[in-house]
Amino acid sequence: MQPSNGDPIDTSQLLKGVLDLAVLAVLADHDSYGYDVLRRLRESGLDGVGDASVYGTLRRLYQAGSLKSYVVPSDEGPHRKYYGLNDRGRNALDQSTKTWGSFTKALDYLLNGRSSANGN
Amino acid sequence: MATSKPANDVATYAASVRSALASLPDAERASLLEDLENHLAEVAGESDLSLEERLGKPEDYAAELRSAYGSGSSTLKVKRRWQIRERSWGLVKMAFGTQVYRELRALLPELLPGWWVLRAYLIVLVLAFMSRGDSNLRPIPNPFSSGGLLQILATLVAIVISVRLGRRGMPVNRGWRGAVLAVNVGIVVLALPVLVSMGTGATSYSYAGTSDPYFSAVSAGYYPGLTNIYPYSKDGKALKDVLLYDQNGRPLTAASGDVVTDVPTGADGLPIPNAYPLNQRDANGLPVLPPRVALPPWQTSAPAASPIATPSP
Repeated sequence: MQPSNGDPIDTSQLLKGVLDLAVLAVLADHDSYGYDVLRRLRESGLDGVGDASVYGTLRRLYQAGSLKSYVVPSDEGPHRKYYGLNDRGRNALDQSTKTWGSFTKALDYLLNGRSSANGN
Repeated sequence: MATSKPANDVATYAASVRSALASLPDAERASLLEDLENHLAEVAGESDLSLEERLGKPEDYAAELRSAYGSGSSTLKVKRRWQIRERSWGLVKMAFGTQVYRELRALLPELLPGWWVLRAYLIVLVLAFMSRGDSNLRPIPNPFSSGGLLQILATLVAIVISVRLGRRGMPVNRGWRGAVLAVNVGIVVLALPVLVSMGTGATSYSYAGTSDPYFSAVSAGYYPGLTNIYPYSKDGKALKDVLLYDQNGRPLTAASGDVVTDVPTGADGLPIPNAYPLNQRDANGLPVLPPRVALPPWQTSAPAASPIATPSP
């Protein structure tokens, strides 16, 4: 959240744009509950992700019909609400993956072009 | 004891979050916070730190929740939003189109009755022009001119018919619709030259009395309604070819009215319009008969009957 040293890219804003995709990707691997999703996102390197953001995103995706949900009773803790992709979620993931691919391609092209121009 | 403290912590933290989100619609809030306590308990179970130390203030947590839940960050949603934007732009364009269209459409029905009346008048005008070949048509039918009353009657009847036809509305059939349009356009096309000639057409009436003594006194303006003069002699004999002049010495002429006048021609070849009674024929070509007149009784024996004034010497 702190302003970084001269970096105009606000990672929290970037994250906002791709959090849905990231959450869908995590769930595509296997079904998971809120806190576990957060942990896996952080493990994969997105350590700026907030707990509330993940929870809110899961609830919204579920509300939008992209996720299935079920409760797994747990002996040593609270019941866990598991989330997983349904067909709609998988479609959303496919589409978002394509969008993300073309987006990064474009940005890579721009960045590489600039660096090669600098190199010459 | 170890479990009750985090449980308390979870309950108070969750309550704070819930109250921070009190402004959300009930259904939305219920759906968003359905699993909140369980989730917070999960988080709390991971560490001995308090929830506030780990997650920040409940208000901030609530704000983050709200933005994650409410703001569509998925590309799917972005796409949908684009579609909505495109669609709404289309709607705006359509609304703009129909707005102009509607205003025009709203104006037309108000103008239509005026056109119905006007076209009736134009039809009568064109018919009058064609039947008489008369360049002396007046803009408004004049009851004192020949055929004036007829024109007014015809105009009224035409207006009634025209408005009735107009109120029936346009026929559904496209062909008929086109025919109706063509008739209306035809009326305009026919009436235009008549209207133009009406303004510029040479009138035979001239009020200036200097150049042509025979036509200097204009009938219609001078004695409206007077179409003939029947002079009688003192002894009750109908006179013929009595030349009448006004106080300025101009020939006295009568209005032509509904009758056709045979004007005699003089030796010089010029018409003599003021020889009374005028020889007239009505619309059917029959000669107009002189009216019956009650001649005043003249005193026949002037000196005997006169009771007055015996001049006394």
